[in-house]
Amino acid sequence: MMRSVWATLMSVWLLFAVIAVLAWTRQQPAPTQSPLVVVKGKNGTQTLVPATASPTTHATTRTSPVPAG
Amino acid sequence: MIGATTSTAVPVAWLVARAAGLTALALLSASLWLGLAMSVRLLPPRRQKSLMGWHQTLMWCGLSMVALHGIALLLDPVMHFSIAVVLVPGLAPWRPLAVSAGVVTAWLMLALASSFHVRRRITQRRWRLIHYSGFAAFALALGHGLTAGTDLRGTTGLLVAGGLAAPIVWLVYARILVPRAQPARRQATPGTA
Repeated sequence: MMRSVWATLMSVWLLFAVIAVLAWTRQQPAPTQSPLVVVKGKNGTQTLVPATASPTTHATTRTSPVPAG
Repeated sequence: MIGATTSTAVPVAWLVARAAGLTALALLSASLWLGLAMSVRLLPPRRQKSLMGWHQTLMWCGLSMVALHGIALLLDPVMHFSIAVVLVPGLAPWRPLAVSAGVVTAWLMLALASSFHVRRRITQRRWRLIHYSGFAAFALALGHGLTAGTDLRGTTGLLVAGGLAAPIVWLVYARILVPRAQPARRQATPGTA
């Protein structure tokens, strides 16, 4: 009886683990490799800092109405 | 909701089908390893009864995963598999040979798992004959995974296949080389693999 319970639990956990691995490997986010920038400190030290890209979209402020037509 | 209708949704049925198939292959292999290890007396003979129980239970768990594999394929909105395709070999429109190998494996596993319960009613020769079909089931399952599956392709597939088959080849080799115990000398349980 206990053997069946253990075997069932083991099988279900194995199934979940495989599902997790398959789901994880399915998601393939595009690697965003940001360039590194050398930042010079006041005391002459240089540190590499990943340059964060500026957002591609900007919030615009419309000052005049859109011309009709 | 099971399955996916758009490319962005998670294809649950497809994921479950693949995972259940891989798990079933792992459990079938484990059951076969255990049976062979008992057969060559690699494991302690005094635990023969307990090990035999594990051998049997692993086969039933593997069969349950095969059932889940089939049900998930039935529910998958992309594959469009019918019950007949899942149960009868040769009816699949998609890769019929590869799918048939999987269907035959399922039936062989059912025969193997059921044979444990009718062992006393059938002759030792018949029991052995049914049990030898475990090798065929393993070979077909591996072939099914390598040809129909999407996860055992390329180098990864070959590595997994090698990892699962290597212990079986080694144990079969040991089974052939190791002389069997004389039944008159010791009152051991009959062979298992």
